[in-house]
Amino acid sequence: MSAHRAVATLGALVACGGVVVSTTGCDRLPGRPTAAQVAAEGTAEWTIQVFNTSCRGCHAQGTEGAAVPLMESDYWRAATDEQVARAVLEGQGMLMPAFGPSAGGPFTASQASALTRGMRAIWGGATRQSSEISGTVVAGNASNGKSVFDAACAGCHGAAGSAGSVTDPMYLRLVSDQGLWTAVVAGRAALGSPAWNEPMPGRPSGLTATEVADVVAYLSSQRPRSMSETQP
Amino acid sequence: MIGAAVDWVEARTGAMAFIAPLLTHHVPRNAKWWYVFGSATLMFFTIQIVTGVCLAMLYAPSAAEAWESLRYIDEQVPFGWMLRALHGWSSNAMVVMMAIHMLQVFLHASYKFPRELNWVTGVFLLFTVLALAFTGQVMRWDQDAYWGLGIGASIADRIPLIGNQVRGLLLGGPIIGGETLSRFFALHVFVLPGAAIGLVGLHLALIMKNGISEMPKPGATVEPATYREEYEKRMAKDGVPFYPDAAQRDMVFCGACLVLLVVLAAVYGPFGPGGQPDPTLIDANPRPDYPFLWIFGAVSLLPPASETAVMLVAPLVGVLVLVAVPFLANAGERAPSRRPGMVLIASLAVMAIAALTWEGKTSPWSPVMNAWSALPTPGHFLTGRTPLQVQGANVFQFAQCRNCHALDGLGGERGPALDAIATRMTPDQLMRQIQQGDGNMPAFGRNLDSAQMTALVSFLTTLKPEFEAPARIPGAQLPLPVRRMPGEVATPVAAGPQ
Repeated sequence: MSAHRAVATLGALVACGGVVVSTTGCDRLPGRPTAAQVAAEGTAEWTIQVFNTSCRGCHAQGTEGAAVPLMESDYWRAATDEQVARAVLEGQGMLMPAFGPSAGGPFTASQASALTRGMRAIWGGATRQSSEISGTVVAGNASNGKSVFDAACAGCHGAAGSAGSVTDPMYLRLVSDQGLWTAVVAGRAALGSPAWNEPMPGRPSGLTATEVADVVAYLSSQRPRSMSETQP
Repeated sequence: MIGAAVDWVEARTGAMAFIAPLLTHHVPRNAKWWYVFGSATLMFFTIQIVTGVCLAMLYAPSAAEAWESLRYIDEQVPFGWMLRALHGWSSNAMVVMMAIHMLQVFLHASYKFPRELNWVTGVFLLFTVLALAFTGQVMRWDQDAYWGLGIGASIADRIPLIGNQVRGLLLGGPIIGGETLSRFFALHVFVLPGAAIGLVGLHLALIMKNGISEMPKPGATVEPATYREEYEKRMAKDGVPFYPDAAQRDMVFCGACLVLLVVLAAVYGPFGPGGQPDPTLIDANPRPDYPFLWIFGAVSLLPPASETAVMLVAPLVGVLVLVAVPFLANAGERAPSRRPGMVLIASLAVMAIAALTWEGKTSPWSPVMNAWSALPTPGHFLTGRTPLQVQGANVFQFAQCRNCHALDGLGGERGPALDAIATRMTPDQLMRQIQQGDGNMPAFGRNLDSAQMTALVSFLTTLKPEFEAPARIPGAQLPLPVRRMPGEVATPVAAGPQ
């Protein structure tokens, strides 16, 4: 390419660039940095940001995420805001870590409440905690719970002592009573577990609130209190 | 009228008499587009000076205000962001253009007699420019700058005997403090640009003195005894004046570079500043700027035992080798086709730097620090699992395994992906690996209690393709029974020697 033609080409390019810039406006050039956008606490944007970096690894939706799926309304029907905020701050069972200041975590009490309200607004929709059953553990009768378990639960969740059963002492050591309660009440539709009052293979009418309390009391009674009790 | 004025000045200064020969000196006719890279480097250097002076008027070189003043330049000053973007992109472009120029000079062996010192001043310019780039990164005074300084200081600290003194000299004290930024500011705006301007002047003076080298021709060897005389003869016969013949190519190329620079600055904007330089923020993920990424990559991949030796000796050897190039071979063939060894060395160097830059950019050895709380366990690893196995998936996140081990291609790459770990390790081997760690993996024995450990191993044994057999100890007839607990009294099992 001769130098003169190169100059002409270059000039044309620059002219085109000039036209583009002058019509779009210099302020809208893509490289211009915008003032740092830190979403204000309590907004939906903030909630999503916090959730995606701190919660989603365990609490997702559908079959994703090993812990209760917070991105689904089923959970928000089962849980109260107070209980969720407490779990955020203080942790729960052996696997939900505390995110509150007492554990050196990143969230203050007001942030935990704001996060809880935000999550309910986004994924709970209009869902409120159900008035038909408590959001937190209610004391029940363990021996009644044993017969409820055998009749309604054991068909899918394994008879007591069988391999892979929910009565596995190692499983019960990892999950708190509140965790058991929420699991029974909310179920997990995507993994095939119905909610407490939905039809179950062993109990087409679902459970009653009293039966839920009894089953949780039974499972709780099966939890080993010391290492030696975990032996088969 | 204008002519009269020029003549008046000329009669008193002799400026034209000085400049005219510079413009009209003869250069080789065949030196077409190969020779534009040096001019482009000089253009970028000029842009650095102009934008740098403008930035120095706006920037507050104090540790307390520097970061805020960058935000001020970006957000308040009209076109301040453009100024920073031009300075940053031009800095990278200058390094790249310099590397291309150097590569061209090396491949064409233009450093041979009588141009040895052209090369040597060029090598010093290279290091001056790299020093400008490093000190410029410090000017941003963000997390990258802070930790970059920390790494630089700890490398200085490794020097035997005088390490502490060198670090003190660099940082203006034992630690990174207010003095540090002032020191680097002085280096970046006074000392190094001054040195660079001096070296550029020397480099150009040597070019005028020795002339532009011709395109290499196989068989046309450099003979120091007769080279100068023959070069002068060839230029007088076949040369063309620098202006306008060669200069117009330089101008076209520089113009194109300038357009590209403005486009890059307008589209991608300024570099940083990143997060505040706060040593208490341990989730910082500092990276050096592009010109140093390959060094970051190389240093990260070094075996730990060799670190001190390589970090202190390699740069010295590098400088010495580069300076020595023209003295090792200053005569003979210049054509790349007659110097295959040199072409090989140059290709290897380019490939090594490119590969290490890529490694430094992706840095797969770094854990992904929020993978455990941000990346959910994929659904197909959870369906059809027992309650204990699902809790094991929770332990997998809880113990932050995901930060180093990917599932479904997401997660850290420091350790192996675990999608099919059950085909490679038996439950006992998994238990041992988690408890005691191995190689790069830390031991988790103290961090996980028996229930957590059992759940985790139980989950990991499900990580395999559906129709593939689980891992077995060679020779074992049956899959070994899952061990329930560490330290548990062994219950009699049918198979396996105890």
